[in-house]
Parts: sequence; C-alpha cells; structure tokens
Amino acid sequence: MLFSPGWRAPVRQSQVLAVFTLGLLLGGTLSATVLWLLSGFAAPLPGAVRTGAILAVAILGVLREAGWIRVPLPQNARQIPQEVLRNRVRRGALQFGFELGTGVRTFVSASAPYVVALGLLLAHQGPVTTILTGTGFGAGRAMTAAIRYASRHDEWDDRRITRMPLLTNAIGVTVLVCLAILLLT
Amino acid sequence: MPAAETRPAGRLRRGLTEPLLPFAALALLAVAAAAADHTVLCWASVGALAGYSLSGSV
Repeated sequence: MLFSPGWRAPVRQSQVLAVFTLGLLLGGTLSATVLWLLSGFAAPLPGAVRTGAILAVAILGVLREAGWIRVPLPQNARQIPQEVLRNRVRRGALQFGFELGTGVRTFVSASAPYVVALGLLLAHQGPVTTILTGTGFGAGRAMTAAIRYASRHDEWDDRRITRMPLLTNAIGVTVLVCLAILLLT
Repeated sequence: MPAAETRPAGRLRRGLTEPLLPFAALALLAVAAAAADHTVLCWASVGALAGYSLSGSV
C-alpha cells in the first residue's frame, strides 16, 4: 500500500505521491497520443455513424455496470510486479504510476475507460482534446491516491469499497449524458 | 496516545476525503462543459471520471 498511513520507507510519502502522479499523467498522455494517431482511421466514417457508435458504446457501458449485460473486457489481467517498488522507491513509484496511467499494463475493471477510449477513437477529436483527455485520465487515477493519502486513515479503504458500485454506475451514466449533450446538441 | 494512523479521522477530514466528492465535482464540471459546448474541458473531465472509476487500492 503506497499511500497507507503505516508508511515506513526512508522516503517521504508526499514525494512518492508526487512522482506517482507524474507517472500517471505521463502514462495517460502517452496512451491518448496513440489513440489520437489511431483515430485517423475513423475519420472517413460519416459523423452520424460515429456519433451513433459512441453513444451505443456508452449505453453498453452503463448496462454492463448495472449488471444487466455481460461484456468481457479486453483488459491485461495481470498485476504490476511488486519488484517495481522494492528497490528504488521514487523511480519505482514513477514506473508504477506510468504503467497504471497507460491503462494497458494492468487490470481495467470499469466500463468508463473503454467508453472514453473508443469514444476518442471514433470521435477523431483534435490532438489537444485527445491528449488532454488522456492526461485527465491519469489525473483521475491520481485522485484516489491523493485522497487516500489525505485521509490519513485505513478506514478510507472501507468507505471506498462501499462506494465503488455506486461510483462506477454513476460515472457510467455521467459519461453517457456528457457525450450525448456534447455530440447531439 | 494512539499513533496518528490509528486515531479516527476528524469529521472535517472525513468529509473532505469522502470518495464520492471528486466524482461530484468532476461530474458537475463535465456536464457544465458539455452544456457550454466546451469540447476540450468536457472530454478532459470525462477522461478524469474514467480514471477515477478505477479507484483501486494503491
């Protein structure tokens, strides 16, 4: 647990949080850059088809989170090895954050990241929009660590676990609503 | 006196670190950006929401 209150390593936890966050931002930005390059393949499709496909994927995401349909996720079902953090804590935290930030090196168990990735692929937004969305993804992941650290108490994990079903469902619906407003109005 | 990590978190700290709070803030931002047709901010907020949906233990 990188950000649990029982930290005993000789490196300040706030420094580890900072480099971990930097890694997450870099990882998300890199993945989004790749998505932007690939999104060019969707450019020839008519706008209505792309909009319809994005909203259909977002609806599937909501239904999956609600447990109404089963959709296997193409996630990389492996954990980042513990050895990454064992020897050099700062560098390890940077690598760990980067690998998590890319979203392709370990478990991605919620639907929203897939909806956003496919949305970016199909929408073929400009490079700034696409890349900042990836940076936002990294920032979103970093929020968990930052709040966990700020809570200074292990009890926070219990609250997080209790809220997760509500959180993933609410995020799925919010993503759908936002994309619908953005693309249809 | 118990160590800091074993003492119960204060009410203010508990409230400010509520796991649903970042969701509420990001959701408001994303919907407002979508309504204002601010594409970059909307996508970036949606990206942050997607990242926050993976609130795994770290």
